[in-house]
Amino acid sequence: MFDSGMKKNDIFEKFEKLAERYHGVATLGTQPFGMVFDEILSPTRARVGSREVILAGTNNYLGLTFSEACTTAAKAAIDHQGTATTGSRLANGTFREHLELETALKAYFNAASAIVFTTGYQANLAAISALVGRGDHLLIDADSHACIYDGCRLSDAETIRFRHNSPEDLAKRLSRLPDDGARLIVVEGLYSMLGDVAPLAEFVDVASEHGAFLYVDEAHSVGCYGERGRGVAQAQGVLDKVDFLSGTFSKSFASLGGFCVSRHESFEYTRLVSRPYLFTASGSPANIAAARAALATIAGSDELGRRLWDRANQLHSGLRAAGFEPASAPGPIIALPRADETTAVREWNALLEAGVYVNLAVPPATPQAKSLLRLSVSAAHSESEIDQILEVFNALSDLVS
Amino acid sequence: MCNVQDSHVFENVSKILKAHAHADILITPDVRISADLEIDSVEIFDIVMEIEDIYDISFPVEVASSIDTVRDLVETIGQLTNV
Repeated sequence: MFDSGMKKNDIFEKFEKLAERYHGVATLGTQPFGMVFDEILSPTRARVGSREVILAGTNNYLGLTFSEACTTAAKAAIDHQGTATTGSRLANGTFREHLELETALKAYFNAASAIVFTTGYQANLAAISALVGRGDHLLIDADSHACIYDGCRLSDAETIRFRHNSPEDLAKRLSRLPDDGARLIVVEGLYSMLGDVAPLAEFVDVASEHGAFLYVDEAHSVGCYGERGRGVAQAQGVLDKVDFLSGTFSKSFASLGGFCVSRHESFEYTRLVSRPYLFTASGSPANIAAARAALATIAGSDELGRRLWDRANQLHSGLRAAGFEPASAPGPIIALPRADETTAVREWNALLEAGVYVNLAVPPATPQAKSLLRLSVSAAHSESEIDQILEVFNALSDLVS
Repeated sequence: MCNVQDSHVFENVSKILKAHAHADILITPDVRISADLEIDSVEIFDIVMEIEDIYDISFPVEVASSIDTVRDLVETIGQLTNV
């Protein structure tokens, strides 16, 4: 075999500090960054080893992963179209169902164009990198998700960050730009770490005053906010003013894939130039079918949304009553900032041992270097499951000590 | 080119970096912000925003990402304020 001692420079040397931190975290209990679920029992329950846990960190906001509509559609798609498309959208990877899903998305958002991508990450990577290029200007919220940063890097456009959720700071930075080049502002509807919502109506005004296009990533908010789950832009009355709206099928839509819709018909041309769209296989038949079934469910009724908000309000107020201070107003994401990483890891382990799975989020993946216990609520959570989660949080300090 | 260490910009930048540094070392132009001061990439972006407000400039992300030493930072501020 190869002798690593013969190499001029050790390619893995740069991982040493990271590896130390990774293994250090595991000494406090279960390894949180590589969690394995041995059996998924329902949208809100799983087995980890011999322990059954309530899932409160899955982004399965509407709890549709086991719905009759989604599972039946996915199974039928496998039976009729097979397990994969084995090709990219531009070659042999566009089936009629991909186009039908795009048509359904256009109708749902009242958009002129809709493109379906293989993952949510790729949706932002593909759309942003195709829309702007060298000589153009990207203005992104400082707390943007990694896929937005990566889309910017792939675009070759100059990228300027503005302060999180600050239309004033955005306006200041726009006014410093030269007149040449297109301007694209990128924000998110609901931020995944702290669960805070963007003031989209104000961003629309700033974009309009400065001749910029507005791109909103609603990965976490579609399905949860607005009438029939159309998202934060719709809830704030500005859906028709947003130039581009992207999202994912891997959260409320209980599948895998992503999309971007636009009020501009010319957005269709990005299919011809976008590398993350062109050079990867298209979404599998089962994923496309499940997403389509979920979209029909979401567009057909506000019932799941109402259930989600009931549970979110119950959990948020219960956590406050237990002495915790959520980072944001009630919503499907409830983040609890902890004193430091060690405290957060210890509490995360204690919760897991008591039968509650939440997300552990630590720097540099979090804003303002915060260590967080991050909970996501599902419409599939019962009132009693939320009560059980709260019972564990009420006892958390005892469980840790 | 002016002497970086004698400039007002260096003085201001040093104060800001000192407040964020995790390693207690003397800040000189050749000190590396990440490797020597142990300031992670996300914190560097926050520091850049603080500097942007002081000097009324905007650092493109790709420029901010390529800053290694205190000298790089001071010289970049000089270039952006002279535009």
